[in-house]
Amino acid sequence: MLLTFTEQQLASLLPAYLRLDSSLYIKAIGPSVVEHMPDIRVGMRCTDVFDFIHTDIEQFFDNTDGVKPIRLVSHCGRTHLFGAAVFDKTGCILAVRHVLSEESMNNGTLHMNDFGYADPVVLSTMLISLQRAMLEESQATAIELAHERERSASLLERTDRVAGYMGHDFNNLLSIIRLNADRLLRKFGHDEKISNLAQIIRETAARGSNITQSLMKLSHQQTDTLLPIVIDDLIRENDTFLNSVVGSGISFDIDLQAATCESVISYNGLLNCIINLLINAREAMPHGGRISLSTSVAHGLATSKSDSGDTEPSAYIAICVADSGSGMSEALLSRAFEPLFSSKPKGTGLGLASVRDFAKEMGGDVWLESQVGEGTTVYLHLPLANPSAEAQTAHKFGQSADAPAIGTRHILLVEDEPYALETLAEMLEAEGYAVTPCASGEQAMQALEQQAYHVLLTDIVMPGQTGTEIARKANLDQPSIKTILMSGYVPDSASLEPGWMFIRKPMDSDELLRLVASAV
Amino acid sequence: MYGMIHRAVRQMVFDELGEDAWLALEHKLGIGPTELLTGMVYDDALTIAIISEASARLNISVDACLFEFGRYWIKYAEHGSLASIMNFTGQDLASFIKNLDRLHLAVGAAMPGARLPSFTTISKEPGRLMVEYRSDRTGLEQFVLGLFDGLITRFGATGDVKIAEHKANSIVFELQYQDES
Repeated sequence: MLLTFTEQQLASLLPAYLRLDSSLYIKAIGPSVVEHMPDIRVGMRCTDVFDFIHTDIEQFFDNTDGVKPIRLVSHCGRTHLFGAAVFDKTGCILAVRHVLSEESMNNGTLHMNDFGYADPVVLSTMLISLQRAMLEESQATAIELAHERERSASLLERTDRVAGYMGHDFNNLLSIIRLNADRLLRKFGHDEKISNLAQIIRETAARGSNITQSLMKLSHQQTDTLLPIVIDDLIRENDTFLNSVVGSGISFDIDLQAATCESVISYNGLLNCIINLLINAREAMPHGGRISLSTSVAHGLATSKSDSGDTEPSAYIAICVADSGSGMSEALLSRAFEPLFSSKPKGTGLGLASVRDFAKEMGGDVWLESQVGEGTTVYLHLPLANPSAEAQTAHKFGQSADAPAIGTRHILLVEDEPYALETLAEMLEAEGYAVTPCASGEQAMQALEQQAYHVLLTDIVMPGQTGTEIARKANLDQPSIKTILMSGYVPDSASLEPGWMFIRKPMDSDELLRLVASAV
Repeated sequence: MYGMIHRAVRQMVFDELGEDAWLALEHKLGIGPTELLTGMVYDDALTIAIISEASARLNISVDACLFEFGRYWIKYAEHGSLASIMNFTGQDLASFIKNLDRLHLAVGAAMPGARLPSFTTISKEPGRLMVEYRSDRTGLEQFVLGLFDGLITRFGATGDVKIAEHKANSIVFELQYQDES
């Protein structure tokens, strides 16, 4: 088949072509070569303007049957051509094109018109360039998404904080309303009309409290009361429910040996932990087996052997959950508490992680012991509620370390809301406590210098020194003091220490009095 | 249309009215960064909704907004990540338009699903081009007018663009221009 092209057609297909005679003189030049090498002329010898790379010029026309690969570089070095030489009777056509790179695209030295319409190198190089452009834009998008997330997180944090402080202020007001309604009931409860009115106020305050609860939840606030709890009682009270968690195919033994020993914890928090541990044990035994739940009191390191760095021996309550399941390998054991890690196909990986968070928050620890084929035991240790050095404080103020007599149970009360301070003081005094009311942290600090107290009852969020700062100082000066914090809002900065009790505002008078009584 | 177009509309609104205006537009349409992914091909209805909202905020008609956006797209492409491709496509108005289909061939290969138009130069005289535009989309004439207008400016010329003829499956645009150089 013989095809004949005009120079114009050839120029469209190969804009950088060159036609040479058998002595290498240029007979025709493609438009793109003219564009890039304005000094080139028909009649010039090709070797006067181009170097032939890896080609022996003397033997160039020796074998003219096929096509010969060819590469040319202009003497000035700016034009690179490659392709093939096609020979005919009069000489040859150099069917070459420019060497196109991303760089030559970026710096604008070559343009689409320098290439034939069907040249695939154009499409492939443009594709690469387009993909690079899309990558750049995708990177910009990724950065935008990250900023968006930061903005959302910051907005959420601000919302949390606003919700928290709104909740705090409302809770303070509701607390005053509720405590004073209780005060009315105590003083004038015999009068039916006043009693009814006080109940209405009380119930309305309780409804208001539900609204602030929602705000608190939005603000991820601690809403559980932290109080001394007899752990054996907690398990006994929920015995039926825990049995139902374990299920029927598994034998479940409960052995409670911690008697009346208490730990300052959240009731629901511990119950959730035990449920999580029982569910894990149950799921380790799909074909049945045995689970034992036991409690005991011990003295020693409350933390695991591998984590005994800073801890000192102390009294603690040990809760053990043991199963006779398949056990865990070392590898599994080392990741068991990792958040979002689960060995179960449908596990969330949150159960053990939340147990560990709870144990740490309460000043305790949790760890596992397991061997493949021999079951797993979980040890949850929680500090005992009354390990303080009472004698140390008593000695400092020349007092007896024995249990205080009625009327000598001293409470340091700190509350910046004057109405709440007045109401709380009156309520506690009516119960026979000796109360030192302070309207600020500074007053409380002075009071701590002057005498020993059995209980510190303090608000958390106050101008000047916060309740947690006062509590830390009080615990340092008077190690036996029992700390009860009360607040409608616990800011992140105010981390509660293990052993401190906590009651959420608005408070129920009876619950507060029970908490104070248990502390004393 | 593809996400790069959405990003360009956003930049136009940013430039003209500021970031808050764009955020308000996003809020109104319920869109966000996930509707601005460069290589993603979105439903035309979304693109039109964005243009329509932008026009309301710029206080111009949708047609005027499409025209302005066409002009803006040329500037956006020549200064952004597409700069080298724009340079490669052509160094003068006629060759750029002649090569648009080759450019779109590469865009189509990079963004499967993109419905790209075709441009054919049917007549070329000094200072005058007749270009036939084909697309399976309708209603984008003002956008194309804006594109050609933006291209005239890009190549340092002044001139006018108008629709010369509506054919059954295409539209012929007439570009009259004068090189300032």
